[in-house]
Amino acid sequence: MNVDSKKPKPLDGIRVVDFTWVRAGPWAARWLGTLGADVIKVEWPENLDILRQNRFTIPPGVEPGPNSTGQFADTNANKRGISINTRTEKGLDLVKQLIGVSDVVIENFSSRIMRRWGLSYEEMRKLRPDLVYVSMAGFGQTGRHHAYSTMGPSAQALSGLTFLSGLPGEPPAGWGWSYLDDTGGMYGAMCALTALRHRNATGKGQHVDLSQMITGITLSGPAFLDRTVNGRKSKREGYPPGNRSVWPGAPVLNNYRGPIMAPHNAYRTKGGGYNDWCVIACTSDDEWTKLAEVMGRPAWSTDSKLQTVGGRIQHQEDMDSGIEKWTQTLEKYELMELCQNSDVRAMPVQSSEDRVENDPQLRHRGMYTQMEHPMLGNWKFQNAPFKLEKSPASIDKPPPMIGQHNREIFENLLGLTINEITDAYEDGTFWPPTMPKFPYIQEALP
Amino acid sequence: MTTESMQGPQADLPGPLDGIRVLELADEKGQFCGKLMADLGADVIKIEPPGGQNTRLIGPFLADKPSRETSLSFWHYNTSKRGVTLDLNSKEGQRLYRELARTADVVLETQPPGRMPDLGLGYDDLSKLNPSLIMCSLTPFGQNGPWRDFLSCDLLHLAAGGQMASSGYDQEDVPDAPPIAPGGGNAWHIAGHYAYIGILAALYHRDMTGEGQYIDASIHEACALTTEGAIAIYLSTGEVVQRHTGRHASPDMSTRIQLATKGGDWVNVTRSGSNLTPARLKVLAEWMDDHGMAQDLLDEKYYAPDGILENAFHITDVMAQFFEQMTQSEIWQGGQERDFPWGGVRTLDDIIGDPHLEEREFFVEVEHPELGQSFTYPGAAAIYNGSPWKISRRAPLVGEHNQEILCGELGVSLEELNLLAESGVV
Repeated sequence: MNVDSKKPKPLDGIRVVDFTWVRAGPWAARWLGTLGADVIKVEWPENLDILRQNRFTIPPGVEPGPNSTGQFADTNANKRGISINTRTEKGLDLVKQLIGVSDVVIENFSSRIMRRWGLSYEEMRKLRPDLVYVSMAGFGQTGRHHAYSTMGPSAQALSGLTFLSGLPGEPPAGWGWSYLDDTGGMYGAMCALTALRHRNATGKGQHVDLSQMITGITLSGPAFLDRTVNGRKSKREGYPPGNRSVWPGAPVLNNYRGPIMAPHNAYRTKGGGYNDWCVIACTSDDEWTKLAEVMGRPAWSTDSKLQTVGGRIQHQEDMDSGIEKWTQTLEKYELMELCQNSDVRAMPVQSSEDRVENDPQLRHRGMYTQMEHPMLGNWKFQNAPFKLEKSPASIDKPPPMIGQHNREIFENLLGLTINEITDAYEDGTFWPPTMPKFPYIQEALP
Repeated sequence: MTTESMQGPQADLPGPLDGIRVLELADEKGQFCGKLMADLGADVIKIEPPGGQNTRLIGPFLADKPSRETSLSFWHYNTSKRGVTLDLNSKEGQRLYRELARTADVVLETQPPGRMPDLGLGYDDLSKLNPSLIMCSLTPFGQNGPWRDFLSCDLLHLAAGGQMASSGYDQEDVPDAPPIAPGGGNAWHIAGHYAYIGILAALYHRDMTGEGQYIDASIHEACALTTEGAIAIYLSTGEVVQRHTGRHASPDMSTRIQLATKGGDWVNVTRSGSNLTPARLKVLAEWMDDHGMAQDLLDEKYYAPDGILENAFHITDVMAQFFEQMTQSEIWQGGQERDFPWGGVRTLDDIIGDPHLEEREFFVEVEHPELGQSFTYPGAAAIYNGSPWKISRRAPLVGEHNQEILCGELGVSLEELNLLAESGVV
């Protein structure tokens, strides 16, 4: 366990009832847990979290099952877990008792599902008047399309984010992962923290109605204003401009990634492997001069037409092929060192393997924490990208196995007797009668 | 002079961060984080060098006419803030900054590591004046480590952070395509979201204990953390993901999920495994059959166990042919009406004016009094029903609030202010 685990946590004393599943919601609750909240994940084995079924992240040699996927593990660290059938009267009543002793309820179901269960904000407030309720439906809880649902990829498409990634004249490349599950997750945590801070100031809880899809639209501000203020359309020549600031030959317009610059591109590096690429960007003519120096001032680079940003944009194809001839003689980390030592902006394209194994900065900063996981063994978890000096975030608990903490939560927190707990297993409240129970569940019972 | 652009039934209430004062000494790396706080009610004072920050020179510009007051990028990222100019290299500028820090709850800064302590404005200096101060340094690689002083930009972070290694094209779509860095400046967004989480956590801790603290936030770490399954897949199987057009990078050759519709648009149908069961396939096939385009998808072999999995590529091909005959909105909205979580690949041209967004009061009119005009800004992703998000004013003009803050709050006289201006301090 890392040293940060011994320091106080910012959300010590906060309890979160976590109805979320798949990625965006669980990622939100994961951060609340990492900041010290007691997060209780509510599940039902007949309706398994999709991440518990992700076959791609079961390590070879590990017995397959809902407790064995690496993707679920990292997304749900620092939580406890219960299994309970909320569609029964008894199950719903117990969940209501749990809400009554909690500070935050968070969920990412389709809009108004909770209301259908009898768990609208108005109902939940009766159980806990200052409750913070964060809902994370794709389109939100209001508006004519609130019942539409999204997954990360479709939310990205609808928000405009997919369209802004790719080469001009080709289909959108999009984002090679559910960026809006990451962003939606961060937003969910932000909403909970903000509403908790408001509660500290006023004593009042509230319902925060987050829309995963709309989070994506808020990330296109300058393009949005270019449309509403200047009337400029997104569908235009040379847009999106791939990795460049401006696509060669296209009108010189700002394409919403900071100031216009050239070079600003990806280049192949030595080895020619799938991820043997680097990126280089020069934010000024001075930085271009430095890059030319690092390249050894090849004759083409000293051409006067390349000494201004306008000239470099005009002659981008030739310039980029000259640069790539040079980058292909160097290994990507070697190139980064050479450039950065001369104040030239260059970084390697890093794969997942590179980040875990080859990135000295992430290693120095302790990006990955090792912890024992009951199925996966000694496992790496991703740490927070911010270090709070006095009350740090830290990964202290592996993710829950499904239903793992039923006894401790219902007995210690809600005061059920051991007979009531055994009964709830027998009548199907805590586990589907037709489904075999995992040994750890049996072992927790007398 | 402020624009009261509000949301929800309780629009007159203060925002959730009402009463929190933030000093923002942040360029493109941190101004988004400052905006997140300002629109939620914090009093964010943006401190710029005399003459204004270079982020004012990032286009596009109003009517394509560049000036320090017409950058749409600056407008967007600095809503609801007040602005003060101070030369932090001068003793007087440093003194005034310290005075402001006495009144602040949070300092957010993006200076190169070591610069603030060198100026005598590090956390150790400021916390002596204000022990409950929270200070977040948001920098490319954090305050220590071998890459600490490396230069960066959005593109560089998306390379090192892993976004590019996951995004791009199938070989048969665009042969030898490079890894693609998605646009929009998202390295700063990713970092801003995490910095916000860190700052709010510190505020909560302060509410409980009275204690301030220093936060060392790293943009590289925030990006490295934001590729969803790529790290988990590597840790689980040792496999590195391959880039695929318009869908998740994965170790295998997955089915396409971004399909063309009539007129050169696309629809994203998410991973079929996450929504296609025999019952759902039936709904889809019957819809296609209504248009005479189901081909053999009503055949019972697809409804046997594993029938969908074994024929995933064929099912996708039949869907693709159907989609090509329909418009983007017929497909994605038609899909949604049938409970498929699909989405059209929209552009802002499609998004602006969307009635669903109108009904959520997403489009916000912000007044620019000096121009005698108002413009439509993007609104909130989340509706805070008890404490509304709102844009309280457009981005500050250069030094707009010098007098209001330096004279009105710190007690600098007008004479002194004139002297400070002439000597280049403000």
